Amino acid sequence: MAKLNLQLNGRARELSVSPHQTLVDVIREGFGLTGTKKGCGTGDCGACTVLLDGKPVNSCLVLAVEADGHEVTTIEGLQSDGELRPIQKAFIEHGAAQCGFCTPGMIISAEALLRKTPNPTEEQARRAISGNLCRCTGYQKIVEAITSVKAGRGESSTENHHGD
Amino acid sequence: MATNPAYSAIGKRLPKQDSESLVTGEAKYLDDLKLPGMLYGRIFRSPHPHALIKRINTAAAESLPGVKAVITADDTEKVKFCHLPVTPNKLALNDEKVRFVGDEVAAVAAVDWETADKALGLIEVEYELLPAVFDPLEAMQPGAPQIYEDCDNNIPARIARNFGDVDKGFAEADYIFEDTYKTPLIPACSIEPHCCIASFDHLGNLTFWVSTQNPNNYQKALSQVLKIPQNRIRVIRPKVGGAFGNKSVILPMDPIAAFLAKKAGQPVKLVNSREEEFTTTRGRYAMVIQLKTGVSRDGKLLAREAKVITNNGAYNNKATGISLLTSNRIGNLYRIPNSRTEAIIVYTNTQYGGAMRGWGGPQAHFAVESQMDTIAEKLGMDPLELRLKNANQTGDTTPWGWLIASCGLSECLEQAAEKIGWQEKRNLSGLRGVGIASVLHTGSGSAGTHGAGNFSEVLLKVYSDGAVGLIVGESDIGQGSDTVLSQIASEVLGVPLNKITVASEDTNFTPPSMGTWGSKVTFISGNAVKMAAEDARLQLAAAAKRILEVGDDARFAFVDSRIHLEGSGQSIGIEEASNYCVQKFGKPVTAKAVYEPPNANPPDPKTGFGNYCPTYAFGAQAAEVEVDPETGRVKVLRIVAAHDVGKAINPLLVEGQIQGGVAQGMGYALFEGAREKDGRVVNDNFTTNKILNATEMPWMEEILVETLDPHGPFNAKGIGEPPLIATAPAIANAVYNATGVRIKELPITPDKILRELIIKREAEGCSSEKE
Repeated sequence: MAKLNLQLNGRARELSVSPHQTLVDVIREGFGLTGTKKGCGTGDCGACTVLLDGKPVNSCLVLAVEADGHEVTTIEGLQSDGELRPIQKAFIEHGAAQCGFCTPGMIISAEALLRKTPNPTEEQARRAISGNLCRCTGYQKIVEAITSVKAGRGESSTENHHGD
Repeated sequence: MATNPAYSAIGKRLPKQDSESLVTGEAKYLDDLKLPGMLYGRIFRSPHPHALIKRINTAAAESLPGVKAVITADDTEKVKFCHLPVTPNKLALNDEKVRFVGDEVAAVAAVDWETADKALGLIEVEYELLPAVFDPLEAMQPGAPQIYEDCDNNIPARIARNFGDVDKGFAEADYIFEDTYKTPLIPACSIEPHCCIASFDHLGNLTFWVSTQNPNNYQKALSQVLKIPQNRIRVIRPKVGGAFGNKSVILPMDPIAAFLAKKAGQPVKLVNSREEEFTTTRGRYAMVIQLKTGVSRDGKLLAREAKVITNNGAYNNKATGISLLTSNRIGNLYRIPNSRTEAIIVYTNTQYGGAMRGWGGPQAHFAVESQMDTIAEKLGMDPLELRLKNANQTGDTTPWGWLIASCGLSECLEQAAEKIGWQEKRNLSGLRGVGIASVLHTGSGSAGTHGAGNFSEVLLKVYSDGAVGLIVGESDIGQGSDTVLSQIASEVLGVPLNKITVASEDTNFTPPSMGTWGSKVTFISGNAVKMAAEDARLQLAAAAKRILEVGDDARFAFVDSRIHLEGSGQSIGIEEASNYCVQKFGKPVTAKAVYEPPNANPPDPKTGFGNYCPTYAFGAQAAEVEVDPETGRVKVLRIVAAHDVGKAINPLLVEGQIQGGVAQGMGYALFEGAREKDGRVVNDNFTTNKILNATEMPWMEEILVETLDPHGPFNAKGIGEPPLIATAPAIANAVYNATGVRIKELPITPDKILRELIIKREAEGCSSEKE
């Protein structure tokens, strides 16, 4: 077993993990944060996407011990004071979630894009979520939701770093 | 078209009621659940496509620390099962023989996944290999390996249908067209894999959590396979992470979880790996369709004959019903006076199929709509004109006995063509082109072809604070049916959406409805909800009359949770009327309604004649593509999808269904399909069995054609399946328009196009040399 220390959704957390455990399993089973989903286990579907030091990664392809000393943000870490992030609100308004299983990973990828590119084009939005497979929506309403989130619409630079 | 009345909730673009739980990650899917003492199960599967089981040794697996149960067929009840009770031939765990790679042989439950995996590796099975057959056309030949002893030529079922005088129709035809089309097995690819948890109490009652679109069906099927009465099985459905028909009937993993839990005396969870999803679950059936059509010189369809050969795979599931639906699409799309179909189901040593969005429609439409373009070209007609000339119309009765109460096919064709720029784009230079295809689908489930009904029962209660609860048997699997049903109740009762909840996740409480399949929930359950809400409204109105002291002829409007006496300024709150019913009438406001379509019946089982469905959904899609001459790669530039939805109860959700369907249809057209080598599925992951990602999707435009169906709740009809059905043939036709090559086998991959392009160029080269 190895000691894992990380900043998880803005809080310092510690856990004993096996060296071969993946980050997705530790997030879900070790920390009980089941918002992060597991769809394939091989890095193909993107359902398990989380932010590692602000960058979106497939957490099924990351060993938990690799996150030692780093910052991890999951879907549960996006809200602040119970207030949804603009991207979450946009997903609701645009009907961008159907079964919802890909949605947390999709939102994390979209959030990562919006932090870097506050006013993305359709093409940038599509590229940002190209690693997140969705079988329900055909992506169109997801893309509409992402491109509807504009800089200055409920976003501030300090909020942008929340949870990082 | 009738005029639209002013509605308060119908026709509104409202987000799904569960949206917030989805975007926060709060929604709980099955794999998010963990019971105290829960074990983790894995299934040992056959590596051979066809073999006798000589011996199974589980001793080493059983002695591995952490293993709590190992089971083989001897630990099960050995009840053969199937979706159709008349053709059961699958055991949860096989005892004598395996018939495809992935067939279930044994299973283990252990304290964690890792130990369960290790235990699987310690199970030893001795097989005697048998000759195997994978292609249905080979399997039906004399001398092919026999997969079942009592089934000659591996054909468990043949269904013939004959309407009109087909021979006469062909004799009168100026032209006859004969083509063969092929479609592959399509895995559903829900992002959430199949999963379940089984837990017994000390009395032997089973609680079973499962990701399904049909909890009642699981309760019934588990009862049969486990030999436990239905009332001792409680099925609970958490949030479902995609289903598409694929989570409508039990998989062997479901009873296996229960048998493991029984033996271990602890709850057991099973979750398919993605590889198991691709290799062992029920995909859309692969078919070979031989299609023959006779037409007059002026483009009237005179006769159609089809042989539909369905690769059943190793076990029975839904092939007979689905192949029949393929046949009836071929016979009922367009006004064809004479049609003859034969559906042949063939066993092979491959993964077996099942329900996957479209129920035989995608295969049928790929064949029919591809051939329509071939016919148009020969006649020198515009393909759009040929379709319009033969289009079904409102009021038609087809030779099969289908009563078309509402039909927007012509409008859909015209509007889709106009929006894609049909006239300008048909003759584009370069390898660009457009194509169009129609769709006919059952817009409300079907009246059943094997004794199953098509009903929905709904319970409704009005709480003392005026809130409303609906209890239904149909699951919301992401499409938003809970929201649509709430909108229907909201419209009738004038109660806002946020005061209406839908419960459908627990068979201990839900009525025995048919579940979510066949694009039926809006129509069938929607009608039941409307009836129950109207009943509750009468009860509330009776209280309002007493409270306001008015006579029986008083009329009320239900708006914003208040009951307004028409022609006066007086009103009372719903909650006041609800409480009055309890206190003065001694009866809380509850209502129960069962809707079974009065205008549809199962067709005659022998002839197939009858009105199969209370409403039929129509549509048309147009695609614009560009083909790379060097690589053969198809780029879909744009898709316009026009669908006759009767009435869009929630346009936002209707658009979502259309867009999602188009994406699946595009995958069907260009990428998807199980590829097998010696019976083994070789593309068993998302890298090699590709579904489309966001960068590969073109812009989609939806057109909602509202025909106002006379039988639908607020004139609606179903839209779940139709959107993916026309996409593949529209793309195939666009590829032909762009390149002049016709691909008759899905998916339309670059290698197939390149091969045909080379043949075409060589032929053109030869002919120009001669000149």
